Amino acid sequence: MADILLKVSNLSVSYGRFPALRDIDLDVPAAAVVAVVGPNGAGKSTLLAAIAGGIRTQGGGITFAGEEIRGRSPESLAALGLSLVPEGRHVFPSLTVEENLLVGGFLRGNTREVQADMERMLRYFPRLKERLDQPGGKLSGGEQQMLVLARALMTRPRLLMIDEPSLGLAPKVIDEVYDILFGLRMAEGLTLLINEQSAKRVMRFADEIHVLRTGRIQLSARTSELGDEQVIAAAYFGTLRAREEMAE
Amino acid sequence: MSITRIRTALAVPAALSALLIAVAGITALAGSPGFQQVVGEMMIRAVVVIGIFIFVGNSGVLSFGHISFMAIGAYAAAWFTCCTLPMVKTLYTPGLPHFLLETSYPFGFGLAAAAGLSGSVALMVGFVLVRLSGIASSIATFALLAMIYVIYSNWSSVTGGTSSISNIPVHVGLWVATAAAVGAIAVAYLHKVSRYGLMLRASRDDPVASRAAGVNIMRMRLIAFVLSAACVGAGGAIYANFMGILTVDAFYLQITFLTLAMLIVGGIGSLSGAVIGVVFVTFVTELLRMLESGIALGNGPAIRLPAGTQEVILGAVMIAVLILRPAGLMGGKEVLNDAYE
Amino acid sequence: MLHFLQTLIDAASLGSLFALSALGIGLLFGILRLINFAHGEFVAIGAYALIVPSANAAAVMFIGEWQAAPLVIAVSTIVVVFALISDALVFRRLRRADASTLMIASFAVGYVIQHMLLMIYGARPKALGLWSDLTRVLDLWGLRVPLLQIVVILSTAILLSALVVFLRHTRFGIQMRAASEDFAMARYLGVKSNRVIGLAFGISGGLAAIVSLMLVAQTGVISPGMGVNVVLFAFVSTVVGGMGSLPGAVFGGLLVGMATSFLQAYLPADIRPFRDAFVFGFVILLLLVRPSGLIRVKALEQRI
Repeated sequence: MADILLKVSNLSVSYGRFPALRDIDLDVPAAAVVAVVGPNGAGKSTLLAAIAGGIRTQGGGITFAGEEIRGRSPESLAALGLSLVPEGRHVFPSLTVEENLLVGGFLRGNTREVQADMERMLRYFPRLKERLDQPGGKLSGGEQQMLVLARALMTRPRLLMIDEPSLGLAPKVIDEVYDILFGLRMAEGLTLLINEQSAKRVMRFADEIHVLRTGRIQLSARTSELGDEQVIAAAYFGTLRAREEMAE
Repeated sequence: MSITRIRTALAVPAALSALLIAVAGITALAGSPGFQQVVGEMMIRAVVVIGIFIFVGNSGVLSFGHISFMAIGAYAAAWFTCCTLPMVKTLYTPGLPHFLLETSYPFGFGLAAAAGLSGSVALMVGFVLVRLSGIASSIATFALLAMIYVIYSNWSSVTGGTSSISNIPVHVGLWVATAAAVGAIAVAYLHKVSRYGLMLRASRDDPVASRAAGVNIMRMRLIAFVLSAACVGAGGAIYANFMGILTVDAFYLQITFLTLAMLIVGGIGSLSGAVIGVVFVTFVTELLRMLESGIALGNGPAIRLPAGTQEVILGAVMIAVLILRPAGLMGGKEVLNDAYE
Repeated sequence: MLHFLQTLIDAASLGSLFALSALGIGLLFGILRLINFAHGEFVAIGAYALIVPSANAAAVMFIGEWQAAPLVIAVSTIVVVFALISDALVFRRLRRADASTLMIASFAVGYVIQHMLLMIYGARPKALGLWSDLTRVLDLWGLRVPLLQIVVILSTAILLSALVVFLRHTRFGIQMRAASEDFAMARYLGVKSNRVIGLAFGISGGLAAIVSLMLVAQTGVISPGMGVNVVLFAFVSTVVGGMGSLPGAVFGGLLVGMATSFLQAYLPADIRPFRDAFVFGFVILLLLVRPSGLIRVKALEQRI
């Protein structure tokens, strides 16, 4: 049984009086790829932001590599090796591609190490190499997604959390992104926690999948054990219960 | 409209007016002339702060420049109603047109001119202001304050420049000032519950949604801006005819800070906040002023605060409110928490 | 022609002062969304640091008598310390507050500082001769140029270049720029928020100190209200140049400085006292045409 790198227990998050997440239990084993899927507004982004320290949480526990991390600042978590790529890409628009990458690199190491890391990133993402001096805001959607992935990788994370990597991207570009993620996972031994709206895409890649709907986890399973996509669809759309009732 | 609805609708302005009238009543019965002066000034400040609220409270856009409308209003009133000694007007303000120089007009003329002129200036300036983002327009209002200050300080032929205009007839005493404050409450409340006020507040709370619902944010802001300027201008007129003397220096940073502090401490989001804020801050500043002059404790030594502590403490109070209770004493709600909130 | 060149140098000198002030404002706005009304009071603190605390009419020099280098360092340190204290006491507790609350809070901080200066030093302006040999007028090819103006222009150029190098080529500078564009994202990448904010207040304070020294050398007078005009023109410059853009702040400052100097030089004498009113009027007209200022910053534009 693999080590659990990230353990979320009973997590609750509310925005004012609105409960966004309730009693979330989630384990991410080391070197695994875990996917969280669910419709818009389910709380997926809230979950990742809460783990990364970006929003206040109201209850429960989050453990990372054995340490309790709930309530810690995002920058301290980045230093521990927990990195979040938020939804919507968030490149630094007026900084060049190179400067964007450097910001990720400043977290660790001396200049030579940072340089070596950057060269490695440019090998994984050759398209970025061509655009090294261009401001981040001028890149296309797909290139920006690669930039923010590379930038997050510069922080040398142990756990990389990505919020909806395919959002707003053309299918061919999404394929490219996922190919790179796959390769990275092999090469760097990364652990990945990925949010997606579309279960189908990420299921081919993930080891485990959780379905999140209206702030609660409806279904958790290993993708190898899930034969029936309909089960996922049901949990996703909440039709599971309704179908059972209709069958009677 | 049923009786209950009218009753609910009038409850808030009635309660606030009753408060002010009660304060005035107690002052008239028991207060020394000096104290009556202080409460009179408080009523005038209430007119100004309520005027500021009409724009700031409903739109959520901060304005540092409303005191410029107070100046415009005050001097307009002085131009019309001055002076108690007929010959003196040509000495103070030789640059005025003949119809002003030769006559002293009644109080009502001065008041109307004040509101009218302030409103007109607000219309022109507001046209640009409402097109700016919240922060940029706040800075622009600060520039407006400075602009009027520069103009009025230098336009000596018409404002007396850096020296004062005195001998302005004192038409306003404690009760007229209180009546003006009650009037301001009425105007502010009517605006607030009207569709203009409602739409403006919707835009404050959610600009995107309100624009999607068809609210013309710029027009709503402009309406509130002009109305608030007219109210503050009227406050200036009343000030002029209460004090009997005017200097341009009275309309710059000190009073800007004081009126904003009153609005913030009371609560920027509601009319009750404006009124309660004025009363509360006046109370606190008067207390501090007495401490600065020295209070003897029975037979013991007198407590005396060094001069200037009053302002430092007021500033500290304002900062504390902003940190601990940014919505102010009233928390953005009206007194009696009526059905319209 | 000569008059024009003379005015141009005046404009460059005044514009430099405004640019430095606007930069101080722009830095804090970029990182914290804070429009710092207290900036003018930081300038005043720098000036009052030069004399012995006393309410006397005549100012007794204290730091003002030191050699140039230690003087600049001492004054800068004092202002920076006050800037950091104001962050620790007030602004740190308002990290999640909206821009209006921050603005009013800084207005209150400025008010408090101004009145504390009043209490300690008295309200009367004091005459202060700082580096008076700089007021010597040079004769350059027929132009009569006060040496001080050259010093101001050159120092500003040097400071701006240093700032550009810092922001473009150093670790902290790049982190600051990143935090300016997207504070939350920068934190997710490990950028320490306290460090970046501290740096912003530090640099802003340093710029305020430099401006205060230039002002004192130029006018020879200090008063508790001396910061008000500075901050007013600084704000107006950032709005003109484009809020949230540092080059915009500099550009805005130069533009407003130019407008002021040229109006001063070319307005008929009887209208000249209204010069500032014209500058503000000109700014308002400019905003009519370009409400977001001359240099637009994408990050600030609302996304729907």
